[in-house]
Amino acid sequence: MNLVLDLRPPESRLYASWQERLDTVARFSRPDEVHALCEEAHALGARAVLAVLDPTIREALIAFQRWRDVPLWAVVPNMTAFIRDLTDLGMVGAARARFMRLTPAAMIRTGLRAVSDLGGIRRKDFATGGMLVADMELEALRGLRVTRLLLHPQLTEIALAGGVVKLFRTFLARAERLGVEAALVTHNPVRAAEVLGADLRRFAAVVAPCNPRGWKMFPDRATCERLFRSEPSRFLATEVTAGGTVAPAAALAHVAALGLAGAVLDWRAVGAAFRDGTPAAAAG
Amino acid sequence: MSTQPLRAAVVGAGRMGMIHGHLLQVYPGAELVGFVDRDVSLRDHLASQGLRAPLYPSLTELFAATAPEALFVCTPTHTHLPVVRECLARRVHLFVEKPLATSRADAEAILALAGEAGVIHAAGYVYAHLPIVQAAHDLLAAGVLGELLRFTSHAYVSEVFSAKQGWFFQKELSGGGVVANMASHLLFILGWFFGPIRRVTASTRSHASTVDDSAQALLTFAGGVTGLLDSSWSMPGTQMLDYGLTVDGRRGTLVLGRERILLHLLEPAAGHAKGWTEIHASELPADTAFDVSPHIGGEAFYRQLDTFVRACRAGTQPFCSLAEGCNTQRMIDAIYASAASASPVDVA
Repeated sequence: MNLVLDLRPPESRLYASWQERLDTVARFSRPDEVHALCEEAHALGARAVLAVLDPTIREALIAFQRWRDVPLWAVVPNMTAFIRDLTDLGMVGAARARFMRLTPAAMIRTGLRAVSDLGGIRRKDFATGGMLVADMELEALRGLRVTRLLLHPQLTEIALAGGVVKLFRTFLARAERLGVEAALVTHNPVRAAEVLGADLRRFAAVVAPCNPRGWKMFPDRATCERLFRSEPSRFLATEVTAGGTVAPAAALAHVAALGLAGAVLDWRAVGAAFRDGTPAAAAG
Repeated sequence: MSTQPLRAAVVGAGRMGMIHGHLLQVYPGAELVGFVDRDVSLRDHLASQGLRAPLYPSLTELFAATAPEALFVCTPTHTHLPVVRECLARRVHLFVEKPLATSRADAEAILALAGEAGVIHAAGYVYAHLPIVQAAHDLLAAGVLGELLRFTSHAYVSEVFSAKQGWFFQKELSGGGVVANMASHLLFILGWFFGPIRRVTASTRSHASTVDDSAQALLTFAGGVTGLLDSSWSMPGTQMLDYGLTVDGRRGTLVLGRERILLHLLEPAAGHAKGWTEIHASELPADTAFDVSPHIGGEAFYRQLDTFVRACRAGTQPFCSLAEGCNTQRMIDAIYASAASASPVDVA
């Protein structure tokens, strides 16, 4: 089974307590700690990193990829941070703030792309705006070995709710132009299959919750597993330990029994697994 | 009870209006029949998100074109009272986003209007709909802790570290700062758990924006429970609202977090053993068909809509009614009044 490390800004995760949050956020605010986590995951058999980038994660991945031939599956844009900016700056202001953080060369590239989308920008077109913000973050991927692009779930779920196939097709085209695969990460894989139909197969992978408790599996575990079984090689499991309530070995055995393409492990699962060494055995 | 989808329209096509619009489209028990917003240039933006219902520039034009059974009021807070008054000129069920108003007087006027109209109503405090919060409520309501004595709580988010712009940071438009707009989620839960508020002693600080950026409050509820709330939207480390609540009773302690409850009982109660028990959200029944916002709110949005629609169909007020929202607004107002006067405030 393929194992993938899930890296996200630690501020965007849920924790059991405020103290655990502070401890974890402080720990992973250091690139060397993130790098060390990458090494632990690699030792367990992880051969890709699924990441929402922030400056710390970016720095850690650059260092990690110097040593390890482990590709990045990049999730763009960082919508949790973007939504916080919306409250203060509004849609246009939040986009402008990101633009102003780009290098001059990246500004020119982004500006040229935006020129071709002026109509969509003027109409506040959802797909155009989403891709514009994503494009600005793609600039931050330079220097990293990226093999897959994934649309941030906060955008994905809205697009799935509205049935906005255009966003997904635009995203597929962008990935193709960049010479990488497109993939999806969603809590609503069944809805994704309904909305995208045959287009779902154009995505190299679909990352969705899968665990023996049915945790975060919408609309329910049975319906999700029916979808997974229809083409198991297309799906990777996330939330495999159901918030830390299932041991990593049991979690991975469950994913393996369904025949899925792999499992995505977060810092907590990697830490637990690294201590007992079970995923390496499961992966083998 | 009708099994037809509830025909609903959304008033205010901002961020929350769009979230409710999407939910109304995916929820099988509802039908989105329109948006109302004075900014009709949003029509293309809504359509580009797959929000297919027509956008009307006024309630008059909405009702001329269609007959919604329910309205979701998602306009800026300071407009809630006039918008609700206009909505209730027709007999429609009412969902009002949080906070209900910029003042207790306006919130109570909204409740009175809804009461006179005889409609079903709800306040949009979404976190109360998380399964783990509802499980905590049910444990307390079942008397697992015995007589409730005291609590401590926090509500933090990393959002305000410098001067801010926009209506959200103007007290006369948004109703306040972190207390009205973030801690109010927790205040709603406290009111739901402990009942009407009786007395508040509080202090607030504005250290970055022009509204309250942090607050501490000692809250006394009519039932005798007393406890502390600490809140700030200038805490590092959390992009989404992080809250926690510890409740002590004569027979035990309950610790509520985002995904789990820790229960410590001095004697067995309601099927729970003496000593420590952990209840994780993953153990609770799953009843959500779509997660519109995995990182902020999660399945609570869907469950909130489900609660409201079921209440409309059953003709009974939901637990999250405007009456409960008013209790929250009384706490918000009392916190601000106490902070301004530097003295305790009794809430009648």
